[in-house]
Amino acid sequence: MMNKADVAIVGGGIIGLFTAFWLAQRGERVVVLEKNYPGSGSTFRCGTGIRQQFGDDANIQMMVRSVEIWKDFCKYMEYPGPASECFTFAQTGYLFLLYSESEISEFSKNVSLQHKYGVPSSIISPEEAREIVPTLDISEVMAAAWNPTDGKASPFLAIRALVDRVRDMGGEIYVNTPVTELLIEKNTVTGVKTSRGEIKADMVLNATNAWANALNEQIGVRFPIEPYKHQAIVTEPFKAGEIKPMVISFKHGGAYLTQKANGGVIGGIALKYGPTWDISPTYEFLREVSRNFTRIIPALKYISIIRQWGGYYAETPDHNAILGKVKEVDGYYIAAGFSGHGFMLAPAVAEAMADLMTKGSTTLPLDFYDPYRFQRGELREQAIQMG
Amino acid sequence: MRLQEHPVLDFSKKRGKKVTIYFEGKPIDAYEGEPIAEALHAAGIRVMNYTPTTGRARGIFCAIGKCSSCLMKVNGIPNVRTCITLVEDGMQVERQRGLEPLPRDYKPPKWKDAERVNADIIIIGGGPAGLMAAIKAVEHGASVALMDENPMLGGQLVKQTHKFFGKREQFAGVRGVKIAEILEKEAREKGVNIYLETSAIGIFQDGEERIVTAIRENKKLVEFRGRAILVATGAMEKMIPFENNDLPGVYGAGAIQTLMNTYGIQPGKKVLIVGAGNVGVILAYQLLQAGVDVVAVVEAMPKVGAYFVHAAKIRRLGVPIYTRHTILRAEGKEKVERAVIAQLDDSWNPIPGTEKTYDVDIVALSVGLRPSIELLHQAGAQALYVRELSGYVVQHDERMETTVRGIFVAGDSSGIEEATTAMLEGKLAGLAMALYVGKADVKNAMDEMEQVRKDLDEFRSGPFGERARIGEKKVMIK
Repeated sequence: MMNKADVAIVGGGIIGLFTAFWLAQRGERVVVLEKNYPGSGSTFRCGTGIRQQFGDDANIQMMVRSVEIWKDFCKYMEYPGPASECFTFAQTGYLFLLYSESEISEFSKNVSLQHKYGVPSSIISPEEAREIVPTLDISEVMAAAWNPTDGKASPFLAIRALVDRVRDMGGEIYVNTPVTELLIEKNTVTGVKTSRGEIKADMVLNATNAWANALNEQIGVRFPIEPYKHQAIVTEPFKAGEIKPMVISFKHGGAYLTQKANGGVIGGIALKYGPTWDISPTYEFLREVSRNFTRIIPALKYISIIRQWGGYYAETPDHNAILGKVKEVDGYYIAAGFSGHGFMLAPAVAEAMADLMTKGSTTLPLDFYDPYRFQRGELREQAIQMG
Repeated sequence: MRLQEHPVLDFSKKRGKKVTIYFEGKPIDAYEGEPIAEALHAAGIRVMNYTPTTGRARGIFCAIGKCSSCLMKVNGIPNVRTCITLVEDGMQVERQRGLEPLPRDYKPPKWKDAERVNADIIIIGGGPAGLMAAIKAVEHGASVALMDENPMLGGQLVKQTHKFFGKREQFAGVRGVKIAEILEKEAREKGVNIYLETSAIGIFQDGEERIVTAIRENKKLVEFRGRAILVATGAMEKMIPFENNDLPGVYGAGAIQTLMNTYGIQPGKKVLIVGAGNVGVILAYQLLQAGVDVVAVVEAMPKVGAYFVHAAKIRRLGVPIYTRHTILRAEGKEKVERAVIAQLDDSWNPIPGTEKTYDVDIVALSVGLRPSIELLHQAGAQALYVRELSGYVVQHDERMETTVRGIFVAGDSSGIEEATTAMLEGKLAGLAMALYVGKADVKNAMDEMEQVRKDLDEFRSGPFGERARIGEKKVMIK
């Protein structure tokens, strides 16, 4: 086992691995420590959506950068095989169905803001929405917010590609290796203690999302991150291309759904439980997801759900992540509390974190996610959470 | 083709009213009470769909709703398991060509709250284990609701035309079909609440209660609520790798029994059987009874696995059993037309020059079963791989309770054995559940459990019970 690294990253999810990638690319010697297996915490349980349609400057900017990177993901990964095996980022768009004047006015405002950063979103008519998704019931739809450059991606293929690439670049990834303690000397991080021994490191990144506070306790720091149980489902496959974009309806329990490349629908609703560490699937969710999905796309009544699972949204009070330096100890950083957006934000967040850790600053709007904003009572406007 | 005469079974009484279904627009005769795939098979239609990626033809394989090989479009709805969906007059059935588009239906369904069924005990699976558990639990004062996704009760007993061994109280000398009738009658008379054509899709915790959600007749949601749940979901047929093992006509042994013994449909004209365990050898005999030619039984092991009496019977009737042989490939265009077998050497490799080709239209695979533990797994029960029980099984204690409190297991889903042990395990689970829900008299139930455990031990005590004994030791929680 490696005993000395420049950076030790705790957590082998999308955030930890993507940050490891950027750091390795900048010549840092990285080690990733994953208590289970890569992606096993929240990444593999996610809804797979990637969107720039947010309602605030920072998240839009971050997502514009993220989408740039997602688009070139296979190039970054220098994937040797066919692109289809490397990664399946599909720019199939995000379609928010709007059912009231107030929703339309809110989303119109968002669209104007998105235009400022070059996001080609627009408000479209119900008929146009049906052209995009021919099976939609538009009888009550008043309008839709549409952005064709949003999309979705496979978390499984993304994690696999990152693991391979990080290792190719000399980084090390240890699975089944929980970190039990931060090593600290004179208020400066010197490494981590793991189940397999100590690793010296100049910097440590806590990328454990819902579990982030476990490591912080040791230094008496607690950020407001709580685990909430969310669930998702997958259906049996039908002909691909029938529901290309991520379709979202706040009216229907905050439902989001899209068809995967293999033809099955993946999606969920906003129903959540918590804070809790229990992620067992609930009947209430299964029932409500069936009820709401079939109101958006009635023909889904003929399609069977084949899987249902739970996972955590690591929620903060304003549903925005906690990113930055942990002031209490030198050399210690955090990127956690993604509140359901970690997968989509990962490329840009990881790049910003790598900038911060190697250069001390970044051009991305990292201040927005300042870990100490809650202490100061400066909560951000709640980020749009669905999908 | 339909069987008109059979030495054991009388289908003229079993068949329902004649109806007409339409296959790709063509009218086909069918009988009420018969599933779609079986009716199509009787009309000579073997290909049910073409696969999405390679466009290969697929027909039935398990015929009990477990393998998804028979999916078709029925009345415009894709992915219908035609082997367990009953025919209705005027039904439109089409082959599925790859993945089908969504039906263009813009009418949101009227949401009706699910039908709610309450009972002390919910049983999933109406085979020998489930039925026996239901009977025992009711006898000891508990209320029971039982569901099965097939259109009839009895599980795999409904196609067992042979007589059982063992003790008299374990139905020795009685044919499986008859045992199914006896158990069904008893369960119904005792007031077990029975739901057929009802597929359990999930087990959930809701406070003190557990919910089993199920879909009835492919469309209605039913919530079964109870405090104890028995998963007695049986087994799935295994598949072995060989060229063209997906050709329509390569059927699981159980599927052939379903066609022939349950619905009176001639499965084919000439059959090669792979696997000389009890299932394979009994199948050979049943095929002969139904007037079907069995060209040979091949067995990769050096010895016949079946009981001597069964094997001797088919040998007497002139069916060769080739040990140390396996199937190399099936041949034919969209259906089995030939099968090629070969002898194996000591390291299980085919010996060149020993190939034999048979003109057959059916290859029957009786290469073992694996427990159906999907629902137990979903409910969070701890599973492990036990070779002697033929696959992944869940751990259970001596009362058949799994690692999840209140969830019990019995029959093949707890490890592959046979119908007699399934009934005994079902008894045990039924008694334990009646105790668990607080309805049984403790002393009576405990005494009876003691007796059942003795019977089980006795049944497993012979050389044929060795695998089960080893397997049980591995899954048992002390």
